[in-house]
Amino acid sequence: MSPNKTSQPSLWKSLVELPRNVWGSIFRNPLPSNDLERSATSFTNFFLHIHPVKVHKHSLRPWYTLGLGLISFFLFVILVVTGILLMFYYVPSTTQAYDRMLDLRGTVAFGMFLRNMHRWSAHGMVAVVFMHMCRVFFTGSYKKPREFNWVLGVILFLLTLFMSFTGYLLPWDQLAFWAITVGTAIAGYAPVIGKDIQFLLMGGTSVGQEALLRFYVLHVAVLPAILTLFIAFHFWRIRKDGGLSRPAEADAIPTLEFPEASTNLEPRRTYGVQGLVRGPLHAAGKVPDNTVFSWPNLFRAELFVFVVTVSAILILALLFNAPLEEPVNVMHPPNPAKAPWYFLGLQEMVSYSAFWGGIGVPGLFVFLLFITPYIDRGTEGVGRWFARERLLANTIFLTFVIVNIVFVIIGTFFRGPNWTFVTPW
Amino acid sequence: MRLALAIGTFLILVIHGVVFYNQFFHRWERNQTAYFDQARTMAKTDAERSALADRKPAIEQIVVSNFGETRVDRCTTCHIASDDPRFATYAHPLKTHPYSLELGDTQKNGKWERRHKFAEFGCTVCHDGQGRGLEPKYSHGEDEYWPEPLLGYTTQENWRKDFAPKLKGKEYLEANCAQCHTESSFKGTPTVARGRQLFFDSNCYGCHRIQGLSEGTIGPDLTEVGRKWKIDYLWARIADPKSVLATSIMPKFNLNDADIKALVVFLKSRKGRNFAETEIDRFKVKLTGGEPVNAGPKPVDIKPAEMVKQGEKLVADRACAACHKVGDKDGGIAPDLSFEGLLKGEDWLLEHFKNPRATMPDSIMPAFRFTETEFKAMTAYLGGLKTAPALTTPEATYKALCLRCHGEKGDGEGPIAQHLDPYPRDLTKSGFMNSKSTERLISSIRNGVPGTSMSAWGKVVDEARAKALLDYIQATFTKEPRRELKAREIPEKNPVPMSAESMTRGEATFVNRCAGCHGRKGDGKGGNALDILPRPRNLRNGAFVDSVNDRRLFESILYGVQGTAMPPWVDYGLSTNEVGDLVNFIRGINQKPKGGQHAGAN
Repeated sequence: MSPNKTSQPSLWKSLVELPRNVWGSIFRNPLPSNDLERSATSFTNFFLHIHPVKVHKHSLRPWYTLGLGLISFFLFVILVVTGILLMFYYVPSTTQAYDRMLDLRGTVAFGMFLRNMHRWSAHGMVAVVFMHMCRVFFTGSYKKPREFNWVLGVILFLLTLFMSFTGYLLPWDQLAFWAITVGTAIAGYAPVIGKDIQFLLMGGTSVGQEALLRFYVLHVAVLPAILTLFIAFHFWRIRKDGGLSRPAEADAIPTLEFPEASTNLEPRRTYGVQGLVRGPLHAAGKVPDNTVFSWPNLFRAELFVFVVTVSAILILALLFNAPLEEPVNVMHPPNPAKAPWYFLGLQEMVSYSAFWGGIGVPGLFVFLLFITPYIDRGTEGVGRWFARERLLANTIFLTFVIVNIVFVIIGTFFRGPNWTFVTPW
Repeated sequence: MRLALAIGTFLILVIHGVVFYNQFFHRWERNQTAYFDQARTMAKTDAERSALADRKPAIEQIVVSNFGETRVDRCTTCHIASDDPRFATYAHPLKTHPYSLELGDTQKNGKWERRHKFAEFGCTVCHDGQGRGLEPKYSHGEDEYWPEPLLGYTTQENWRKDFAPKLKGKEYLEANCAQCHTESSFKGTPTVARGRQLFFDSNCYGCHRIQGLSEGTIGPDLTEVGRKWKIDYLWARIADPKSVLATSIMPKFNLNDADIKALVVFLKSRKGRNFAETEIDRFKVKLTGGEPVNAGPKPVDIKPAEMVKQGEKLVADRACAACHKVGDKDGGIAPDLSFEGLLKGEDWLLEHFKNPRATMPDSIMPAFRFTETEFKAMTAYLGGLKTAPALTTPEATYKALCLRCHGEKGDGEGPIAQHLDPYPRDLTKSGFMNSKSTERLISSIRNGVPGTSMSAWGKVVDEARAKALLDYIQATFTKEPRRELKAREIPEKNPVPMSAESMTRGEATFVNRCAGCHGRKGDGKGGNALDILPRPRNLRNGAFVDSVNDRRLFESILYGVQGTAMPPWVDYGLSTNEVGDLVNFIRGINQKPKGGQHAGAN
């Protein structure tokens, strides 16, 4: 071929090659067949480059992480997608909101299914985020250098709860109205600023139009933005903290005996910026490699978690309809009026003592969660479930978890009219 | 891993298939297709045929804004033939809504013309249900959360199984007719009219308020009851009040199912709104206080010769026994009237009928609307009940006469005690029992305590029986042996003469020393009253105050009332003269205005 011809390809040829060229311009690499291409696939793809090119084998063990963090994230994605679609139909007005719910249930195409998906994903996210936190604790993964990422995780947990709580009011039915009335009343028990927080949340002294608008704005704009930011921060820290936690013995300890020749400070190899990670530089390439390429190992695992999550939510949404109770009747509270299930532990405790149950104990619990990585400084037992070295910490945490779950169960199933003890059968 | 992925993705695909199928193959679409097919075969002209050819299944809706909040009724999406007279014999949902003269529909040249056009009225204005729904379960209101299921057609799953079958029938629809046709004589709403009559005949109006109809205050206001509750609740609340609310004090009335249904329909029609009026009309009515509604109990023509008999019938018909005990019927709320003629004079009875609070200032008995002659007939009947019960032992006497109020244990917690004000005396309080002379206690039994529910039992129990009864009470309930009463210095007559100055001084002392419990008005409702049992005496109870002499007032104030919260004021520095001023003040606020009732009765 003459240079002339190559510089001016025929229009026909361009058209024939159009699909391949478009594809190639989007996905720079062909399906990888060697290690170089596997690396390139990871770091040249916008959606994949957040992953490391190589990932430690230990991090891929399904029974170590249980995929809980990923499930939380995928649920969040489902929530964003379904939530945006629901936003097209929803009006945050006390006179219209409930009618819009009826329309979603009756006439809007896929309306009921979208609402079901959104509802069950929201409940699922609260549960899975909590389980993720338990996993991180029981494997001791909050220890140095991951202390701050644990703090970010606790913030994300609280944001998730608040997110779910603000969404609870939007259907504007009896369930929503009284759950939020109870929930905001719990906030009102906080000392000094409690009543102000309650007023700020509700935009008045009772749940009404202002409260609905505030909860709506928080639910669809403010909290998702903050949550997205913190999720990004959380992910970024995972990379910068050296990937997922793993036991010390999973990494080969590089020898510290330097060969004579290395005393001249001249590097034997040159490194790119990617090479500037923690650890002795000169050891790179010499230690036994426990990592595998992210493509396809990590991505396949993630896809699997995604498929499982989506299937589960779809099945739930198909089988169970999200509840929609009577329109709001301010004069007629249900007996008992219950908060959303994840706050029923709080409500149960509030029934013993307003301050200690609603603010004191949970406040203390959250405070303990925040400072845990700065109190528990031992380095033993990281990267293993229920490590013997961490018996005390795990026992304390497990006690908290079990007590909380027991309270939630009591509040959900064993409380009848006037908050008296009933048996659910 | 690959297999699992394949299964998972396949699952997602299948679910999407199901969801899309549900979305695109609605039941209403099948109904409409069936309708179009049928209509095509019926079409006679080309115009009809071409009109049908263009029609495709679509959601039909009627937006109704003339009746309260805007309604969106999509019922005709399924009931698409409701206005097509050719489908009169088809099964639901492809059935023509019936035409009828009763509904005001008219027939011209063999063609029916609707009085209530669907385009104007929609469906839910008359039928209830959820207009926006497209699934029968939701649009008919079968799901338990929907507040307005199809009236008379749909019963919800959580409704009581024994009541649910009775809650069907087109009579229930009258409740919605009455939203516009408010006149009580309207021919289309006979059940509402019957319910309204029963509301008066069964004396419901005595306790319940319905704006414009009645002013009762004991039970809940029923002005908007139809908007707040479903018919199952209304039925249960009437047929079995305690099944809904264990603490309900509503009597169980002796009503048959037809009566209850009429009452339920009437109550369901009370929604506190009127579609027939515009906003400005309603405002006018509010300004002028509204026109008097011509409704009330049906008066009975009393013949002088049959007074007693007609009185007996009135007492039986107007549900007196829903609260009182009369013979073997017992409402369990109010005193026993079986031998009323022995306890009360006819004057007292008549006065009590006309205004129960004239003789007993804290009675909860409502003032019922009877005519003067009806009152007299009932008085004649009750005044004639003079057969004393057979009384053998003091124990039997107690059980027959006293237990209803003073209770099995004598602690004043009898079955009807909670409805009496003042409460029956707690006979187990030895402090009180042993500080009063036997003569006074026997006098209380035989002469009663005026202004309270304690009747004068003198004609039922003679002196000896009363003594034996007191001994029985003392031995069984009070238990402590009687003590010698202390001799006290008490003036027989108030030494301070009655005067305006004395009353002013007395009032000053009263506000300082007594108002905390007895209240600033002296009505026994002071700030501390709720914490005190027995409650502080209502000193505006004229009948009571007039019945006690000065000596007793002085005794109670100076030396207190043992077994109650009343302290001996002599210990707190009240002089005899100050007490005299107080007594004058108490007597003063109970003075009868000239020719009228007790001041305390108002």
